[in-house]
Amino acid sequence: MASRSTPILEVRNLVKHYGGVRAVDGVSFSAASGTVTGLIGPNGAGKSTALNVIGGFISPDGGQVIFDGTDVTGWPMHRLARLGLVRTFQLARVFGNLTTIDNLLVAAPRQKGETALGILGGKRVWGGQEKELLAQAREMLGIFGMEAKESDYARNLSGGQKRAVETMRALMMKPKLLLLDEPMAGLSPSLSHQLEDLFLKLTSEGMSLLLVEHELDTVERVCSKVVVMAQGKVLSEGRMTELRTRKEVQDAYVIG
Amino acid sequence: MEYYIIVLLVYLGTDLLAAWGLNLEFGVAGVANLAFIVTIAAGAYTYAVCTLGPPAAMGNFQAYVGGFTLPFPVAVVAGMVMGSVVGVLIGITGLKRLRQDYQAVAMLVVSLMAATIVTADTPFLNGNAGLALIPMPFADQDPEIQRWAYVAIVAACCVAGYLVLRRFTGGPIGRTLRAMRDDELAAAAIGKDIVLMRLAVQAVGGAFGGLSGALLVAFIGGWSPGAWAYVETLALLTAVIVGGMGNDRGVSIGTFLIAILLLQGVQFLPQIPWRIGLREDLGWIVLGTLTIVFIWLRPQGVLPERRPKYGGSSG
Repeated sequence: MASRSTPILEVRNLVKHYGGVRAVDGVSFSAASGTVTGLIGPNGAGKSTALNVIGGFISPDGGQVIFDGTDVTGWPMHRLARLGLVRTFQLARVFGNLTTIDNLLVAAPRQKGETALGILGGKRVWGGQEKELLAQAREMLGIFGMEAKESDYARNLSGGQKRAVETMRALMMKPKLLLLDEPMAGLSPSLSHQLEDLFLKLTSEGMSLLLVEHELDTVERVCSKVVVMAQGKVLSEGRMTELRTRKEVQDAYVIG
Repeated sequence: MEYYIIVLLVYLGTDLLAAWGLNLEFGVAGVANLAFIVTIAAGAYTYAVCTLGPPAAMGNFQAYVGGFTLPFPVAVVAGMVMGSVVGVLIGITGLKRLRQDYQAVAMLVVSLMAATIVTADTPFLNGNAGLALIPMPFADQDPEIQRWAYVAIVAACCVAGYLVLRRFTGGPIGRTLRAMRDDELAAAAIGKDIVLMRLAVQAVGGAFGGLSGALLVAFIGGWSPGAWAYVETLALLTAVIVGGMGNDRGVSIGTFLIAILLLQGVQFLPQIPWRIGLREDLGWIVLGTLTIVFIWLRPQGVLPERRPKYGGSSG
C-alpha cells in the first residue's frame, strides 16, 4: 500500500516561457502511482507545454520534475522513456514506412537485436526474444481490434488508427507512467470506451497515466484526480464531479 | 578487352561497397550524407600514405604526410578505420536538431570544404596534382595474374561486406534505424538514442566508404581531388534512389545500372571533335534526369523496400 500512495510523478513549480509569454507559470501537482490523473483546461492553458516539459521534449526554465523518486528535470526524451516515463504526441506520429506490427515491435525495450552482440550474432541471439515480442504485439493488436492491419504500412492507416498505433506502441514499452496527449481524439465511440476500460485495467496492474483530454466525460469516468490548468497556472484540483461545481473552473472554461 | 573487364569488375565492386554504405546511412537510417565521397577519399588517401613509403624515397616528386610501407591488408584496414572516423566527423555536423534537408546542405558544404583544404594544402596530400604510383599488391606476379587476384580480393570484400551490411539493415536494428529515418522525434520517444545511432551508422557507413576507396586506389594507382568531387556522391545517391532506398539488392542493381552501364557506357559514344568531353557530360545529364524522374514517378525505386512478413498467426 505504501508504494501506491507515493506519487509516481511530482511536478514542482514548473516554469516555461516563450519570449514574454509564460506558457507554464509555476505549475505544481503530483500524480499518484497506479492511478489515472487528468490534466484539463481550456485551449492555451499550457497543458501540452507542461506535458512536453515533463516528457523531456523541451527543457523547463525553472522548477523540477521528479519521476519515481528521481529528479529527471531536463533529461532527454529517450532517457526518460528508458526509465519508464513514456509519452505520446498530440498529433499521432507513426513510422509511416514500417508496417503496423513493426511500429509496435520497434518500441519494445531492451531488444537484444539492437546490441552489438545481437547485430554480430544475428538471429541466434535475438530470435527467441523476437518471437515473444511478436506474440505480445499481436495480443495488443487484438485488444485494439486491428489484427487485419498487421501488415499494412502505417502511412496508409486512418487518423484514428494511427492514434491507436501510437498508443499501442507506447504500451509495448511497458511504461511506469504514460503521458497521453488526447488519446481519444479521432477514435470511434466504441473504441474510446474500450480504451477507457483498458486504461483502468492497466492502472489496476500498477501502471500510472497522466491524461490530457478534452472529452470531460471520459475524464470523469477514468481519472481519480484531475488537475485544471488555465493561463499557465494550476487553477484547481480534485475529483471531476467536484470540479464541475467550482466557480473558478466554470469561469475558466467560459472565458477560455 | 580482358583488361577492360577487370577494370569494370573492380569499379563495380568498389562502387557496390560505397553504395551499400550510403544506403545504410541514407536509405535505411535517413542521414542524407552528401559528403559520403569524403569517406571514400579518406580511405584512398590513407591507403596511399600507408603504402607509398617516405616521400624522399621517390625523390620528393610528390609531398604527403606519413609515408609508410605497410602490407596491403593493414593499409586497407587503416583506410577503413579512417573512413569510419571521417564518417563520424561528418555525422557530427548534422547532429544538431536540423531538418533533414538542412543536414544534407551542411554535409555538402563539408564535402566542398574537404576538397578545398586538400587542394590548398599541398604538403598535406600533394594538393591538386594528387598522389601517383600508389602500389598494388602482388607486384612480383605476372600482371595478368596480379589483376585477376585483385579482382578476387575485391569480390571477397564485397561478399564479406554484404554479409556485414545485412546484419545492420535487417533484423531488429534495421527496423529501429528505419523508424529513426521515418520520425526521429517519435523514435526518441520510444527510448532510442538518436545521437548514438546516427554516429554508429556514420561509423559503419564510413568504414564501407573507406574500404571502397582503399581498394579502388590500390588498383588505379593514383588519387587526386578530381577523383572525389562532390558530384561523385550524387552518382552514388542516384544509384540508391534508382535501385530502391533501403533495399540492399535494389541498390546493388542501381549501382550496376548507374555506375557501370550509364557512366561507363557513355565512353562508347563517339567523341565529338568540337565538343570534347560532351559524352561524359551527357552521362551526368542522364544521371540527373533519372534522379528527378525516379523521385517523381517511382520514389520507391526499381526494387522497393521489402515489407517484412511475420509468418503464421501463432507467432
